[in-house]
Amino acid sequence: MSYLDTPRLHFTGQFQADVSTINNEVTFYDTASFTPDDQQRTTDGTKGAWNPEGTGIFRLVGCRITGARLGNRQITTWEQDPVIGTALENADDRVFGKLVDLDPQQQMVSQIWGMRLRLTNGQERALFVGDFEPAAFINLWRRQQTAVFLDQTLAAVFQSVLAKVTWQGDAKSEVLDALRHASAEGYLSINMNVYGYGRDPAIPRYTLGNVAGTIGPYLAGEPKQFVLGRQMVAGTPGGNPLAPYGGVYSFQCKVNAAQRTLAADFGHCLPIKNASGAFDPNIPPLTLAVLKEESSNILSSVGANEVALLGDVNYSTDGWYAQTAGVQDFDYSGNPWCVAHIEERPLVLLTPLAPDNSSYAVLVSETLGGWYARADDFVARVEPGGSASFDIYTTHYGKPSATTVQFSPNTGPMGGPPPEPDIATPPDAISYPTQLPTDAQGKAVLTVTAKPDGPGNPRGYIDGQLYGIGYQPAQQPAQAFVNFWNLISILAFSPYPVPEKPTWNEHIQPILQQYGNLYPIMSKHLVKLGDYDSVVTHLNILKLAFSRPIEDANYMPVIRDLSANKRTTILNWMNTPGPDGLPLKGAPAAAPAFAAKRAAFQVDLEPAQRRSKTEALMKFAARLRYEAER
Amino acid sequence: MIKLQRSAVAAIHAAQNPDQLYPWLQKAIELEHSTIPPYLTAMFSLKPGVNDGIARLIRSIVLQEMLHMTIASNILVAIGGSPMINIPSFIPQYPGPLPLSIGGAGFIVGLEPFSKPLVQSVFMAIEEPEHPIPVAAFAAQPVPDFATIGEFYDALKKKLAGFPDSIYGRTERQVTRWFPANVLFPITNGASAGRGIDIIVDQGEGTSTDPFQSPGDPAHYYKFGEIFYGRKIVKTPTGFAYAGAPVHFDPTGVYPMRPNPKINYFERGSQARMKMEEFSYAYSSLLNTLHNAFNGDPALIDQAIGLMYGLKMIAVSLMQTPLGDGSNMTAGPSYEYINVVQAAA
Repeated sequence: MSYLDTPRLHFTGQFQADVSTINNEVTFYDTASFTPDDQQRTTDGTKGAWNPEGTGIFRLVGCRITGARLGNRQITTWEQDPVIGTALENADDRVFGKLVDLDPQQQMVSQIWGMRLRLTNGQERALFVGDFEPAAFINLWRRQQTAVFLDQTLAAVFQSVLAKVTWQGDAKSEVLDALRHASAEGYLSINMNVYGYGRDPAIPRYTLGNVAGTIGPYLAGEPKQFVLGRQMVAGTPGGNPLAPYGGVYSFQCKVNAAQRTLAADFGHCLPIKNASGAFDPNIPPLTLAVLKEESSNILSSVGANEVALLGDVNYSTDGWYAQTAGVQDFDYSGNPWCVAHIEERPLVLLTPLAPDNSSYAVLVSETLGGWYARADDFVARVEPGGSASFDIYTTHYGKPSATTVQFSPNTGPMGGPPPEPDIATPPDAISYPTQLPTDAQGKAVLTVTAKPDGPGNPRGYIDGQLYGIGYQPAQQPAQAFVNFWNLISILAFSPYPVPEKPTWNEHIQPILQQYGNLYPIMSKHLVKLGDYDSVVTHLNILKLAFSRPIEDANYMPVIRDLSANKRTTILNWMNTPGPDGLPLKGAPAAAPAFAAKRAAFQVDLEPAQRRSKTEALMKFAARLRYEAER
Repeated sequence: MIKLQRSAVAAIHAAQNPDQLYPWLQKAIELEHSTIPPYLTAMFSLKPGVNDGIARLIRSIVLQEMLHMTIASNILVAIGGSPMINIPSFIPQYPGPLPLSIGGAGFIVGLEPFSKPLVQSVFMAIEEPEHPIPVAAFAAQPVPDFATIGEFYDALKKKLAGFPDSIYGRTERQVTRWFPANVLFPITNGASAGRGIDIIVDQGEGTSTDPFQSPGDPAHYYKFGEIFYGRKIVKTPTGFAYAGAPVHFDPTGVYPMRPNPKINYFERGSQARMKMEEFSYAYSSLLNTLHNAFNGDPALIDQAIGLMYGLKMIAVSLMQTPLGDGSNMTAGPSYEYINVVQAAA
């Protein structure tokens, strides 16, 4: 089950992502050329960019349950069920969660770490409370059509589960009781569509965006970050995954055969006019349908006789998005052909071509041939000699099905042209099979192993190396549309021998100085991380932060890019006092020569687009050109 | 000298059973907490790199207030009580009187950016010892007509010592980490409770003969004196004087925070309001966590420490957020107890 099953809750409100922007520029990792001036906030994309002193906090702001569904019943008012109007809040007994990039050269899989959510009605502090399992956003596209200065016009989706869920009190809510009973003990499925994110320090929604999401049941053993269901994949022109051909992006659906309904999630795929989330007035009438015969090609249009219509998409109905977060249920019980065939024919999203509805343009189609492969979690950090495992699922028209999945290098949007360091080199630092069979449940586990010395230190001033792994079901036709974002991102750490007697000057300062440069909210206001006296003054809190598990919201470094051996070295140093009772300072190191500034790669962008995901994608395109010329 | 309700001292003297001390130990916890928001606000208002010396002095005082709150909570826990920290009334109204009418009926404490008049008229008044030691020309000896904080704690100490040691226990529910063992220790009997109270009084007031609570570390009143007079306190042939190393103050190094802000003063959807709610929410989470730590789960103190550092980070951007009302002032922390942030519209 998943958030696309019932019972489900829909919530809307805002989120804050107080991300730091200074670590978006990879050349700033070069401590030798970094200057304090680089920490300045600017709105022209230079220096520390629009939020250098960001804390990394990710939290929901003012979110309320604005709709629910129980079986075939849509619930929109408190009178129908008192869950309506309850608040979906952050933890009230720990720090807020954090939003974290994998790496400055892979900013497209930002993960939420350490976020705990609770539902409260004011009387009961937590009708339920659960930990959002760390997950990266996916399916970025330019959903927002017009923007004010510095707006992030890309939207994205986070899907994960709430784990360690506990329930308290009695809200007298039929929906909540049913949700609790439908879900595996301790779990719920959650999906959040995020859009309309403001980045101009002068506007009220600076660091704020909008969120519309859904919480539903989760069953043990199911994927957590996508729905085991029907996958509608929008075509995107090569090199620009942000603008789908049909103007509507990819989305997922799920058939409930017992109930004879199909739930489709339009929460992220429809374009919006501006940051408010109002739908783009240019969206044409949309109809979801089933194609009566499989096609070996992606169709651009169909005749009315070639499809069985499921119904129109209700996006233009007042209040529809807030009450449903874009999830719509289509009842096909009255259509015998659909009852018989919906689970073996492709779904299509249509818009009428002719006024008499005799033909339709196809905007988005289900995966060609019905096959789909997906890595559930798709982001990992790997130690030298270590490994990471990924659950791979294969489905055929939404049903788990055995097949073969092929794997090959695919770095997607990672990296940039010189002077950025090369990525994915040396290529043999990580290894994994080129293909794997999935079992009858459509599942395989991909293990990626790093060499004992990992990638070495190929990027010089920044630890580790990035690798990407693409995957596809063996039956996938060459002409199929594929989701650009379906790839695995790996940060493989550099080797680092743990010194027997680490000292500040030789070992610790070089590591902490970089964090000090790139997390100024801490280094300017709490602990000067590059300064021995400041660090030893705050030794206890730093020990705590450096020894927390990575899932903990108090974990340091926030950016979560410290290898295990470097962490051990720091903790050993902190825990081994010298004769003066303080950690060893060691012989003064020769002052490092100040290196000339590395010229950051410039792409031709409006100032408002610099140091942003747009810039990262432009660099990606430039890297492709660069590699082609090389 | 700081004054408080005489009735409190009388009630402590009259206690027949340990549980009759619970409300007064709860008051002690509230009292020790009540100065933290005003001190923190002044400290948060100092720009980094400009007034760091003053910030360090205030920070050292705030840390000791946290210690005192912990000691008072442990004593209450030790004799079977339950500190109540996660309720709105735990936080005083700012501006308003402190718990037990500290300082007398007209003594009002608010949340204000750092200034020397604030230090003198409020912070030094809060911390004024029962018998201040004349420092240089600075001396004042008003006649007490109210009880003092010193008397309050002295009464508690004597009464606690008068009960048998068998009333003490529950050391596993006490918080004993994050401070050195010589100042934070399990409360196991009347003697350790008395030692804990001595630490509260001495760190706050100094002893009756020495402004220093320990070598090189003046009591709170004299630390604020150092900030106000701009010099470290030193021993002189005739006594003590604020004549040591300078304590530098640059008036341009203070954020122009609006004094005594409240969340509902600001428009919904404004940056100032959003960040004030963020701060108050996090502060409330801290109180929730401390409450749980002192009510059976002392390991949660680690989460509380994380929240304290998190608050500082939130305060940084809060203090730099313009009100946008043409006043040139910025937002500030309001320490309101909230567990739900309002929806934007």
